[in-house]
Amino acid sequence: MSHPDDLLADYVDGTLAERERAAVDAHLTGCARCSAEVRQAEAAKAALSELEDVPVPFGVTGPVLAEAGRRFERRPGVVWGRFQWAAGLAAAAALVLVVALNLGGEDAQNAAAPERAAAAAGGTGAAGAEAAPPEVIRFAGLERQPDVSYDEAGIHAVANDAAGAVLAAEDAGDSQAAFASTVPDSKDRTSLARDCIDQSGVRGPNDVLIRLIEAEFEGTPAFIGVFAEGPGAGQAPDHIVVFVVAKDDCRILSTASQRIPSG
Amino acid sequence: MPDTPARDEDLVRRYLSGDRAAFAALVERHERRVYNLALRITGREEDARDAAQDAFLTVLRKLSSFRGEAAFTTWLHRVTVNACYDLLRKRQRAPLLERGEDDLPAREPPPAPDHADASSLSMDVQQALLQVPEDFRTVMILHDVHDLRQEEVAAIVGVPIGTVKSRLHRGRIALARAMGIEQAERFEASEGPPTSGDSRGATPGAPRSGERADAAGPSEGTVSP
Repeated sequence: MSHPDDLLADYVDGTLAERERAAVDAHLTGCARCSAEVRQAEAAKAALSELEDVPVPFGVTGPVLAEAGRRFERRPGVVWGRFQWAAGLAAAAALVLVVALNLGGEDAQNAAAPERAAAAAGGTGAAGAEAAPPEVIRFAGLERQPDVSYDEAGIHAVANDAAGAVLAAEDAGDSQAAFASTVPDSKDRTSLARDCIDQSGVRGPNDVLIRLIEAEFEGTPAFIGVFAEGPGAGQAPDHIVVFVVAKDDCRILSTASQRIPSG
Repeated sequence: MPDTPARDEDLVRRYLSGDRAAFAALVERHERRVYNLALRITGREEDARDAAQDAFLTVLRKLSSFRGEAAFTTWLHRVTVNACYDLLRKRQRAPLLERGEDDLPAREPPPAPDHADASSLSMDVQQALLQVPEDFRTVMILHDVHDLRQEEVAAIVGVPIGTVKSRLHRGRIALARAMGIEQAERFEASEGPPTSGDSRGATPGAPRSGERADAAGPSEGTVSP
């Protein structure tokens, strides 16, 4: 047998078929060169397997996400595009849907029926269309937090808390779980806040609003929308996404997302 | 609640459909892998940061042309490897590649590693890795550090699988030598140290003639996403 160079990587990996392995073993007993190479390769592989991942330093992905935000805001008709995809409709029809959603106010979703929430978020409810995840947290209205100014870490904490709340509500089978609403009668203001977030174009077809906060973000008066987002087809939400928009012109100030741990 | 999170391809679709947070989720999911791959290939934190950012920005730019023929992770790895190569080239750290794999110069072996603890071992291995030619290093990192299958590695670097096997084996030997696991040690129980006529002994990491089954050398290895 000539030197089985083409088999030695697999030999070291332990992935050779029995017959090939036996052939290489037989060769190694009589070939100092190959057996030495195998020992070296095994030592190297073992050393590489000891290498551990290091944490990503702060600031690596921030600029990327900022660029993503800029690109997103420059995209024309982003809301149209989303609804075209979601419902498979022509652009004109999609626009009608957007308007209808914006004008529909909160009652449709606040009614807390999962089907209605899905229809409100997803568009048409037509066969084959995307369907929002079932409502696991009841949206209870706008929370006003006049003395609070969030920063990036605070927004991530909101996302994290929401993921925990969804998980807890699911575990408890509590379909009426809700975040505390501090201003139960601020229906108009709630609509204003929701419209502002919808207008920003960030909301996805499978996003179900579960919390809405009026506060400041890094000193700028803002609305903070917390959504449960699912993969579609009515499946349970798997992510929390948080959008922060400026109160004065509804521009996007920040976002955060948090995976909802499964099980 | 589903047991598995959303697939990468679904997040791509969501982003393209107007869900801005889906891109953030993709970045969040893969940043650690991308950064660590870049760190192992480039060997410097600063370069790894730049390469990781370049990779994600390339993904952002080209996401709309991602057709899903390859898995998203394959594509992401390929973009990251290319970003590392571009960076190394910009910094003129890859002169070996321009000369071809059969023409690698001999290198001084590093000092014997101090294996006093795990962190120094990691540093030793990382230092030794940098002495392994780039294409061999990349294949080893993808397979032996990131646990990708040889077929995936072949798809990422754009070479036949036979070339992956060859680079893997030659790269491991080069790494062992760079770590100070010398050839003499290997022969002690058999036929003694290699003679000066053993051309392999003088060129750590150099492939034997005929090693390269592929026409694409490392310098041409950049693959279009």
